[in-house]
Parts: sequence; structure tokens; C-alpha cells
Amino acid sequence: MSKSKKGMNIQAKQQRAGWFFLAPASIMIAVFSFYPMIQAFLTSFTTGTGVNVKKADPLFYNYTRMLADKTFQRSVGNTFLYLAIEVPIMLVLAILLAQLLNNKDLKFRGLFRTMVFLPCATSLVSYALIFKSLFALDGLINEIFVNLGILENNYNFLGNTGSARAIIIIALIWRWTGYNMVFYLAGLQNIEYSVYEAAKIDGANGWKTFWKITVPLLMPTIVMTVIMSINGTLQLFDESMNLTMGGPAFSTITMSHYIYNNAFGLGVGKFGYASAMSFFIFVLVAILSAISMKVGDNRD
Amino acid sequence: MKKKIVSLLLVGVLTMSAFAGCGKKETAKDDAADATDESGANAMYVSDDENTLTAAAWDANFNIPALKAAEKAFQKENPDFKLELIEQPDSKAIENAVTTAAQAKDYSNLPDIVLFQDHYIQQYVTNYPDAWVSIDDAGVDWSDIGEEKASFSTIDGKHYGFPVDNGTVIFAYRTDILEECGYTMDDVTGITWDKFIEIGEQVYNKTGKYLLSMDGDGNDLPYMMLQAEGASQFKGGKANLADNKTLEQILDVIERMQQKNVLLLANDWSGYTNDIQKDAVAGVMNGNWIIPTIEQVAENSGKWEITSMPTLSGEEGYASNGGSSLYITANSKKADLAKKFLAYTFGGGKGAVDTYDNALRDGGVITTCISAGKSEVYQEGVEYFNGQAIYAKIVEMGSHVKVVEQSDYHYTAREKVAAAITNIHNGTPVKDALATAQEELAFAMEE
Repeated sequence: MSKSKKGMNIQAKQQRAGWFFLAPASIMIAVFSFYPMIQAFLTSFTTGTGVNVKKADPLFYNYTRMLADKTFQRSVGNTFLYLAIEVPIMLVLAILLAQLLNNKDLKFRGLFRTMVFLPCATSLVSYALIFKSLFALDGLINEIFVNLGILENNYNFLGNTGSARAIIIIALIWRWTGYNMVFYLAGLQNIEYSVYEAAKIDGANGWKTFWKITVPLLMPTIVMTVIMSINGTLQLFDESMNLTMGGPAFSTITMSHYIYNNAFGLGVGKFGYASAMSFFIFVLVAILSAISMKVGDNRD
Repeated sequence: MKKKIVSLLLVGVLTMSAFAGCGKKETAKDDAADATDESGANAMYVSDDENTLTAAAWDANFNIPALKAAEKAFQKENPDFKLELIEQPDSKAIENAVTTAAQAKDYSNLPDIVLFQDHYIQQYVTNYPDAWVSIDDAGVDWSDIGEEKASFSTIDGKHYGFPVDNGTVIFAYRTDILEECGYTMDDVTGITWDKFIEIGEQVYNKTGKYLLSMDGDGNDLPYMMLQAEGASQFKGGKANLADNKTLEQILDVIERMQQKNVLLLANDWSGYTNDIQKDAVAGVMNGNWIIPTIEQVAENSGKWEITSMPTLSGEEGYASNGGSSLYITANSKKADLAKKFLAYTFGGGKGAVDTYDNALRDGGVITTCISAGKSEVYQEGVEYFNGQAIYAKIVEMGSHVKVVEQSDYHYTAREKVAAAITNIHNGTPVKDALATAQEELAFAMEE
């Protein structure tokens, strides 16, 4: 044992161990996350394509360019549409399912939980492709609807704006409801059963217990899932890319898909502009998360 | 103390195995060919052997047999030569590999040779000039290569690419269906689009089949129709969509074709190939690489024949769509060997006839090399196409294709025109839809 080690008191030793364990993860995060973020921020102040880049003049050129970019604005609109419709439906469904599947008397609880969670285990691309073939012009859904007499002719679901957006939303709900349900299930299990018993004795019905006990006590979990869903939806990419390719006429394209098109997708190589748009999303996520944290914070 | 030793040992083992894992990949370059990344793309590499070149390509049924044919042809005079093929799932994998390498300014993960899409290469040479090797000194006789094909891989007067396939557009018709409606191949050759619509309507009313189908997503259709007129979506390096009279007329034709059930626009590529293979169409118009797709339906053998495109004026129309060429990357330390090999084979050298004959037999790859197109194999009739000598016909049609202005923003333009077609179909007037497309394309082209 060296002398200096002996000289350390217990606290210092513990601190050293703490740093030692933290270091690998922190270094990796710094190298693989923070460093690229800084680089991307610097890149967002450059213009040009590929390696022919130069400093943007004026410096905020890429950021002001966004204001005039109609396709980008459409992609922002689309993304917010998905956000506004999909996230509430999904979270309400998740909380209801969690409530149902938390029932101690329910038979085959494990089986049902697994079934609801299973979509999350499929890869994003493959589930998008499955939805695509389901809703194709000669796909299963058209076949069923025509045979049942609901539709007269095969309907081009992915070729029409309204239905294409609806399918993306349905696909998202299918994919992510089970994921959020698991968080709620965990949250529900942390609520003491005695609280419910007390409510029962006081004469509260199921509806009241849900709103007065379950929701307030689940608040931290709800806030977390809302933030995660906002974050996930704003970065939506695979569905737009694989289900509809952003079409018809850019009516389903998401922000991330448009960013990809500017950097890689169409071989254009506008990395500066793409980085600037990425930072726009970054700021959006930060603002929306801050708002939901404030709303969910019920400390007085 | 004991615990400490055990944990130290464990850490040691972990680090060792981590290093061993990395080290293995570095030394055993041959193993790298088996390593696949997430997207299913094989890792690219160069070989240490001085007689071995590596080439990344996609499509095991088309381009890869062509490269194998070239390897064989070159081996006749250079028995030690070896070409290692690194198969990729699609062209995108190679494009992304070049982008990533160039952005990182580290080309060491690229192979000696890459197959690259013609419509993308201009952009990539402009964006990443250091990634490519000029082949002006390779000794290729460019007058022997189709002018339109070579125009893609010539950037600022410098040649970069060796041609592989031929993108000449064919219009294939089902002769049995035409006959049923009282038409012959002559009736659909050298006609106006208006006449085409007339025939198409009859065919649909009688048989329920569309005379033309296209992938509404990628939108090759307006590009091919424009090229047949000798017009482009670009003019002097700028977007040329609004006030482009030819394009206006073409989009009007496309809309009328949709309304009268002459044209079936699929949502995406697989929908398009499905339509062809499910017998929903009586005609197919695309680059001749679509032939293997048509041939998938064995029971339709002998029922197809090919001819040129309709045009607005009624002259025979010729266009070219898609296709790819071979490029030497800056990572190649054997660029001279690569030039020699490619000039000897694909570039119309001594091995060209051998290469292209086998490429045609094994992969259906048709040459743009004029002298190689005169070989006997090209004169043979093809049973599937009613005994028509389609390959000679394609090479002949290819020589009429007009060179039109290309742009780095080719795919961006297509995307905007595709959106315009959708908007027109939803009721926007042609002029307004094109004005929007023009505005958006011009915006996207600002640097």
C-alpha cells in the first residue's frame, strides 16, 4: 500500500471510488454524445454542400432560412399534428390498460400484459413495413373492407393525405401504447392498496378513486411519459420514411425525415442546414419538456 | 486482497477480449467481408494483395454478374488478377458510405471500386472531389461509349466513371391484349400522347388493364417524357419548372391519363412491380433494367414486344432512365491497376466483347459501348419477347437518346414534380402546381 492512499480519509476514498465508477460512462457520453452535439452546433453555422463548406454569412443564415422554407414548415406542422392527436390518445389508452391489467383478480394477467407490450419488441422499420403492406392498395385491410361491403373499391390509404396521416397515427399508437403502459403499471404498483381501501370505506366510486387517487399519485410517471412521448414524436422518422416516404406531396413528412433528406436522403449533402434544423428540434423539445414539467409539478 | 486480485483479473480479461475483438478485424481483412452492419451492408475494405481489387456493388441478379464477367475476361491476360466483390443491399448503402467517409475525411473504409448511380454522381463529385480518381489517362475511347451515358460521369470536362449498364427506355406492350383491342405494335409506335390516351382508354374499357403504370413516389415518368422531348427540368444550372411549356403539357397528359384510367400510379416501387407482375397492366415503360421484372411472369412468355416511346409531336421518343457506372475511389492504392482492368473490360478495351456478352447472358446487363453492342449475342432473338431481337433494338434506341441538362438536384426536382402531380390530381391548376414546385426547388437549390 502506498503512503498517499493510507493518508486519505474514508470520505475521500469513497469519493474516489465514486468517480472511478462514473468515469467510463461519463467519458463515453461526452465523446459520443456531447462532442457531436457541439460539432453539430458549429456545423449549423456553415453553408454549402459536402466538403465545400464555408462559414455562413450572415452567421444565422441557416436559422433564418428555416423561416422561409415551406417544406420544413409543412414538416413541422405534420409533426405537431401527430403530436397533438397521437400522444393524448396513446397515453389515455395506456393508463386505462394499465388500470385494467393491474386488477389482482384478472386471470391470465401476464399473458395480456405481454400481448400489449409485444409491439414494442418489433423493430421500427419492420413494423412500418407490415403496416404498409396491410394498408396497400391490394392489402389485407382493403380486401376485408371490400368484402364486408364497407368500401366499394379498393381505397388508396397511403396515397391520400387524410388516410395516410391517420395510418401513421394508428401505427404509432399500436407501437407505443404498451411501452407507456409498462411505466404506468410500475407506477400503479407503488400505490399502497390501503389508500384504495380507505377510499372505498369513505364511499368513493371507481371513477372518483381513479381521478382523486390514481392520477395524482401517478403524476410523476405521467409527466415522465409525456416528456418521453413529446421527445419521441418530435424525432419521428422511421414511420414517415418507410410507410409513406413523406408523401403524398409532402403531406406526411416529419421534421427528422426532412432533415435526413437534406443531409443524406436526396444526396444533397447540406449538412449545415440539416444541423440547424436539428437544433430547432432540440430547442422545441426543451421548451415542451419544460412546460410539461411545470404543469405536472404540483408542489405549492 | 483476494477479492482485489480476482476483480483485477476480471477487468484484465475484459479489456483483453475487447482489444482482441478489435484487433481481429484489423488484421484479418478477409473476415471483414463477412461482417455486416445494422443495415445488412457488408463492410467495405481494400485488399493488401497487389493483384486483388475490391469492388462494392448491389443487385446480385444484375450488376454483380457483370462484374464477375469482367473479372473473368481480365484474367485471360492477367491470371493472377482477382476481384473481390462486396455485395451491398442497395445503391443507398454505397452513397451513405461515401458521404460518411468524406464527412469524416477518412476514406480508409472504401473499396478500390464502387458502383454508383448515374443520377447521383455529379452531386458526389462536386461535394466530395477528393473521394474520386479521374480516369482521363485510362485510355478509353469515349467516342465508342454512348454520349448520353458518358455525360453523367463527365464532370467539368473530366471523366470519372466506366459505364456498366444501359438505361435506355423501352416501352413494352402486351401484344395479345393490343390485338384483342384491334391494335398492332405499329399502331403504338411513333404516336402522340393524345393517340396513346385514346388507345389506352379502349384497352381499359375492353380488358380492365392499364396501358401504363408508374411508381408515383420516385416519379421517373415526367423525367423520361421530358427527355424524349429533349427538354430538362433545369436550365443553365437553375430550376426550370414554371413557364416550362413542355413540362406543362406533359403534366397535363399525365393527369388526363390518370383520369381516363390509362395510367396507374402506384404508391411505391413494390406496388409498381406488383402491378406489373399481377397482370394489371398491358404496357410497361421504363429503363430496360425493368425487363427482368417483366420476365418474372413465366406464363406471359412470348406475349411482350418492345418499341420506342410516344411523344407530344408523334415522333418516336427516346430516353434513358437510371443506370450506374463504376468509379475508382481515392482510397485505392492500386488505381493504375483498377484503371487498366476497367478500361480493358467495361471501357471498350480488348475484353469488352467478352465482358458484355457474359454480362448480358448472366445478368441481362446491356452495354452502352457501341462496338460491344455489335457482337452476335446482341443479335439473338429473345423468346420472352416473341423472338424480337430486343438487345440490338435497345442499343440502337440508346444511340438516339438526347443529352439533356443534368443537375446536382436531380432527385430534389423529381420529388417536387411528384408533389406537383399529386396536387394537380387533387384539383390544383397545372400552372399553379408548377409555380409552387419551381419556388420550392429554387429554394432547395440555394446554397
